[in-house]
Amino acid sequence: MASIQIRNLTFKYPLADKPALENINLDVESSEFIVLCGKSGCGKSTLLRQMKKNLIPYGEKDGQVLYQGIEISELNDRKSTTDIGFVQQNPDNQLVTDKVWHELAFGLESLGLDNQSIRRRVAEMASFFDMQTWFRKSVSELSGGQKQLLNLASVMVMQPKVLILDEPTSQLDPIAAEEFLKTVYKINRDLGTTVIISEHRLEDLIPMADRVVVMDKGKVISAATPWKTGDFLGGKNVEERHPMFYGMPSVMKIFSACGGSEMKKGLYRTGDGKKIAPLTIRDGRLWLEAILEVPKEEEHICNKKDEYTEKIENPIISIKDLWFQYEKNSGQVLRGLNLEVKKGELFCLMGGNGAGKSTTLKTVAGIVKPQRGTITVDGIKVCKENNDKIAGKILAMVPQNPQALFTEITVEEELAEALYFRKMTAEEKAIKVEEMLETMEIGHLRKSHPYDLSGGEQQRLALGKILLLEPKILLLDEPTKGLDPFFKITLAGIFEKLKKQGVTLFMVSHDVEFCAEYGDRCAMFFDGDVVSAGEARAFFAGNSFYTTTANRIVRQWNSELVTWEEVAAWVEQNMTP
Amino acid sequence: MKEMFKNGIGEDAEFAGYHPVVNFIFFVFAIGITMFSIDPVFLVVTLSFSWAWSILLNGKKAVRFNLLMTIPVMIVMAVINTLFTHNGATVLFYLNYNRVTLEAFVYGLAAAVMISSVIIWFTCFNKVMTSDKFIYLFGKAAPVLGLTLSMIFRFIPLLKSRYNEISMGQKCMGRHVEKGIFAKARQLIKEASILVSWSLEASIETSDSMEARGYGLHGRSSFHLFKFTSRDKKLTAYILVTGIIASVGCALGKTSIYYYPVIDLGKWDLMKMITLLSYILLLVAPLVIDVLGEKKWQAYRSEI
Repeated sequence: MASIQIRNLTFKYPLADKPALENINLDVESSEFIVLCGKSGCGKSTLLRQMKKNLIPYGEKDGQVLYQGIEISELNDRKSTTDIGFVQQNPDNQLVTDKVWHELAFGLESLGLDNQSIRRRVAEMASFFDMQTWFRKSVSELSGGQKQLLNLASVMVMQPKVLILDEPTSQLDPIAAEEFLKTVYKINRDLGTTVIISEHRLEDLIPMADRVVVMDKGKVISAATPWKTGDFLGGKNVEERHPMFYGMPSVMKIFSACGGSEMKKGLYRTGDGKKIAPLTIRDGRLWLEAILEVPKEEEHICNKKDEYTEKIENPIISIKDLWFQYEKNSGQVLRGLNLEVKKGELFCLMGGNGAGKSTTLKTVAGIVKPQRGTITVDGIKVCKENNDKIAGKILAMVPQNPQALFTEITVEEELAEALYFRKMTAEEKAIKVEEMLETMEIGHLRKSHPYDLSGGEQQRLALGKILLLEPKILLLDEPTKGLDPFFKITLAGIFEKLKKQGVTLFMVSHDVEFCAEYGDRCAMFFDGDVVSAGEARAFFAGNSFYTTTANRIVRQWNSELVTWEEVAAWVEQNMTP
Repeated sequence: MKEMFKNGIGEDAEFAGYHPVVNFIFFVFAIGITMFSIDPVFLVVTLSFSWAWSILLNGKKAVRFNLLMTIPVMIVMAVINTLFTHNGATVLFYLNYNRVTLEAFVYGLAAAVMISSVIIWFTCFNKVMTSDKFIYLFGKAAPVLGLTLSMIFRFIPLLKSRYNEISMGQKCMGRHVEKGIFAKARQLIKEASILVSWSLEASIETSDSMEARGYGLHGRSSFHLFKFTSRDKKLTAYILVTGIIASVGCALGKTSIYYYPVIDLGKWDLMKMITLLSYILLLVAPLVIDVLGEKKWQAYRSEI
């Protein structure tokens, strides 16, 4: 039986010219796993919010959204609370109470359950989510991933039949995101909960989905199994590709670019002989195994020259033998770090969580003082005395949360604020602001409030504000966090422009695919030091695990291919006719 | 043992492990009776027990805090009372034609000891009654109160971390190096305004999340993790018996004496002695429990 039915739903926000949702029809079966994808601002969140009674936005609604045959907005309050769970984007903002156990109990308290029943349900959930070790902790001590798992658990504790998640992993690093999505999958498989999830990062999610629903400009353009969706988005040739195609997992992109399901040969067969397209890395390898005629490369463990020893002429950032720890007993975060960054390059520092990547950034910015070692930026030593020469003049940093910068009530004024201390006439300032609006492609938003912008737009506004300081070096902390694939391409374009103007970009990131595609040099950070560094391509070709999905699929045959386009082109050339 | 006196046993103390209601009742009696005692004997008792327990809980730093807290209070109170109260028979000297009496000085000192003891008892209270115990007690009274407290305790570290991020962002923009009060004030106001608008914006999501989890439905309950076990029952009975006897004595005026016109130490009748004894028995309870608890752990450790 269909769990949620949407019939001819059209929805318009007050004062909007165009409807946010247009004539949507969708049936969600019980225990189905549905992935909702589409560009930012295509109406995904609006659609998801229509399915939860208290969150339905205000506006003109036409059509029906039914849960078990009852209009959602007329559902009984208790039933709506218990049966439909909703998890939002930001891990921090959803937490209400100070302790993990209290957060878990929050929903059950609302329902007025007695202590014994709450204790039992909370215990069950904490065990299911494996939270015993941090059950009594304060929520402020948790990592982002744990916070979001807690948000999920405190919804699941009410035993909902439908779980709706609105970009739940956009604020998490890839490892925490994977963990989170696995838990969602487990909920779907083990408890039979219907899952409707919207997400930008589809690499891990698509293989889990029963159906993928693609939205574009407020309409549902496709609702089908993952590989049919891949086929649909890929079109027959490059011109017919839907923009959303670029957000699909690498395997699907490669498969589709090599002919998709038109190509009868080499479809991956499941145990029961059904033909499906590859969705996972494993599928991808098996598929290539079937269609390639190239011999596999010899496994080489250490036959490549270590590029890290390469000497850089006149580095703009030079870090020498840096040691740092926060507290006397807290352990070393940086252990003799050496690093050099060339002028005008996009340098990516990658590595696991808590490895000290952000700390490195802070030491370069002069926010924390290392115990030993020296840093020079543009020939000036980073130290307290030189701080006013460096901060905001030679070097500026974009924080992870763009909100941390916003003070004004319009985008225009926000940008102008950056020039407040500069000695120039009002006209000159206005021209600068105008130029920046154009560079960042946010001119159409000039009168909007910074908080009304979407995540990607806020990111660009923050970047624009920082760039008005005209720094020679730009430090970026996870600039691609929470951005959809299209914004990422825009961002890469902006980076390209900046590099042409001679700006050096030093970014810390988890985003392997982005760094591989657009980075000039990449370095792997581990245990307080850089363990390998090199030109992006060589760097990823040299790694065996910490590399792009496309590279992982094809590295048995050719480890030099890094991006999916390269792989697709190479596979097409080497396919058995 | 050395380590214990350095940092104190703090929240892990045995007494703090009892049910919050038990902890709370103890403090009500201990602090309540202190506040209505002005008899020097009772004052010495409550001051010494509060000192001993605060050192046990907070370690070395309690000594410094207690001295810093109590000595100024004592001096100020004694001086003020001596200068402004002119009752009392024993005139020490005249100041501006006003009598300065011994009784007024002693009374000021006694009141100061009383206030200092209350302050020190509150430092112990602070250590023992952690936020979740507080929330539990308030939640018992009204679930909404408990929740509000819990949200406040959630909000404080959140605001702190947000402020740090804002301040870091501003530093990276080259702000924060301004000289002069106005520039600094402007910067501070700017940062505060970012903090406020960011938090307001975020609280919309918080309220969505609360509503999505049924906040506002009728009949909210309040969950807790505390268990009222048999040892809690025993200690409650003990505290109630000693506490009530001492309170009765206190109500009968056995914990106070007359200071004016001359200091009258009062009669040591049976009731007064019983009151003193029960008060001592009450105040010694957490000390004994904590020391025994610590001993037990030491024995346990040495067995391994």
